[in-house]
Amino acid sequence: MYLLEHDAKHLLARHGIPMPQGCLLHDPVNIDALPPGPWVVKAQITAGGRGKAGLIKQADTPAEVSACIAHILGKQAKGRTVRAVRIEQQVHGARETYIAMMLDPAAAGIRIIMAAQGGVDIETLPREALKTVSAAPDAATLAAAAAKLAASFGGITGKALAEAGRAIAAAFIADEALLIEINPLFVYPDGSWLAGDAKFVTDDSALPRQPAQHALLQDPAGAYGETVLKDAHGCDYVVVDPAGEIALLTTGAGLSMMLIDEMRGAGLKPYNFLDIRTGGLRGETRRLVNVLNWMREGPNVKVLLINIFAGITELGEFSRLLVSALREVPEFRVPVVARLVGNGMESARTVLKEAGITLHTDLDAALAEVRTHLGARQ
Amino acid sequence: MISPRIDRNTRVILQGISGRAGRLHSRLMKEYGTNLVGGVSPSIDIREINGIPLFADCASAVKATGATISVALVGAYDLLAAMQEAVAAGIRMIVTPTEGMPVHDALKAKRLTQQAGVLWIGGSTPGMAVAEVAKLGFLPDVSLKSGPLGLMSKSGTLSYEAGFRLAQRGVGTSVWVGVGGDPVKGVRYSDLVPFYAADEQTKGLLIIGEIGGRDEEDFADALQAHAFVKPVFALIAGRTAPEGVAMGHAGALTYGSHGGYAAKRAALEAAGATVFDTLNAMVGGVAAKLL
Repeated sequence: MYLLEHDAKHLLARHGIPMPQGCLLHDPVNIDALPPGPWVVKAQITAGGRGKAGLIKQADTPAEVSACIAHILGKQAKGRTVRAVRIEQQVHGARETYIAMMLDPAAAGIRIIMAAQGGVDIETLPREALKTVSAAPDAATLAAAAAKLAASFGGITGKALAEAGRAIAAAFIADEALLIEINPLFVYPDGSWLAGDAKFVTDDSALPRQPAQHALLQDPAGAYGETVLKDAHGCDYVVVDPAGEIALLTTGAGLSMMLIDEMRGAGLKPYNFLDIRTGGLRGETRRLVNVLNWMREGPNVKVLLINIFAGITELGEFSRLLVSALREVPEFRVPVVARLVGNGMESARTVLKEAGITLHTDLDAALAEVRTHLGARQ
Repeated sequence: MISPRIDRNTRVILQGISGRAGRLHSRLMKEYGTNLVGGVSPSIDIREINGIPLFADCASAVKATGATISVALVGAYDLLAAMQEAVAAGIRMIVTPTEGMPVHDALKAKRLTQQAGVLWIGGSTPGMAVAEVAKLGFLPDVSLKSGPLGLMSKSGTLSYEAGFRLAQRGVGTSVWVGVGGDPVKGVRYSDLVPFYAADEQTKGLLIIGEIGGRDEEDFADALQAHAFVKPVFALIAGRTAPEGVAMGHAGALTYGSHGGYAAKRAALEAAGATVFDTLNAMVGGVAAKLL
């Protein structure tokens, strides 16, 4: 999962990486615990591009800090709402450099990238400004490769990048990271350095054995809602459009993503992404009931589309579970359109028919029925 | 050249055969025609499952059966150890359908298999199949029809749907490889370009990709590097997915311009591939070219 900057820095600090003093705030009123000023007020969302979106502001007085917080909180960017800000002391008199480590899937290693110039979108730097090398995924090899790459910069920049490289290598391996990027890495004339911003992507699959990361799921503002759901319920659910009209009960990540793309391409408004994992239902309605209750929260949801391509799952049994789950959530009263393909179709057809649901095998026919329901409601 | 092609004689063992998935899929694979010669299970009470003899470990299974391929259906946190055991026993190809292998375990597994010259398909793969001959993993029979189209996919379900619709349209597949949806995987699309170029049954190649990572871009580079002349078709899921959220597949996490749809589409088109927006358009396009 893509961490908030504040959480990224919390993890990095555990590995001795220095950063400007800072604190996390959820409102513009309680600002007694500010670090020394002047300040920078940074929106905490799980996506990049905050500067361009106007979500990072400078403030010279506590009153300005309050005003900046009030201005930033609640703003929308990249489909997310800003629910917290990190306030940091501004950094002056330091050079901005760049360092990152990320997976190198082709080489089964970790790629190190460094640049003497940072603080900007790294994609905008000329290629020759970036130095990069791939190393084996163990902390000693990674740190040695980072030191060698850093040495090619020379001077205090090289020294700072080497030190930062050693600490990031340790964090990357111990925390099983997928990406750690520090941009800018501030380097002072005396050679000391600080992590300005921090981007950290963790591995959801490693969460059960990474207690410090698992603890982040408790974020009071719910920054990691999707991962929390997966952790607790064993399925992937993402609201892709809070104003969406069509709730989707689907299985399989790729097919569900493709369905959303196709529906949007055809002018329809899906509400959510879901990989229910039919193989994991184990004869219980619990997971289905949960997702129906989540879908009920969509204020504009007008129809439920079920699209299941079952390689293995018996569709008759799935249909019985589905009908029971729908009965358990009577508050979710929208037309149901079902498109199922796979084993046990005839039994599924009978079960659904008794519940007043037509079984489609052709997706286009199902989408046509969805359009009919949307039209009838408008 | 690495080749995933199997036939009715290729000997296969299943690690984790006594689990729920192992029992079900050993039966389904065997019924399909896969030469499943042994199962590995720590259980000492059972001698065989679905008529397949059980062994205590990979080494004894390989020694007794001469198997060269293993399908590992074990827990995500047990997968690395299972793969180490298989490689040590002399297995040449490993298929790992298990979802949720930690990425740093996958890095170790990939280095291990690369150094040993073992072909690894997975993780989070639905498996692979030579249609109407044999299959390793979960691919549903209704989607498998023998024909001229090579198929590689990150996604299981999207490939089932694509294979099913293609089969209905009369287009079958040659060798179907689910490379899986994990960010660090064994075999990648680009690794199999030389194989599909040389494979006589294959007259065209479909890749079913999705956002995240660089697999599609590296595949496009490999097409050009190998001067691949057969027609190439592509579907890429996740065009409208939000940044910073992994949509079900760990590998489908995008951040900044990294792993985005536009770059993948541009790279594939520059390499001469036809990229389709919808399944229907893809089926029509492939049928028009190959039938």
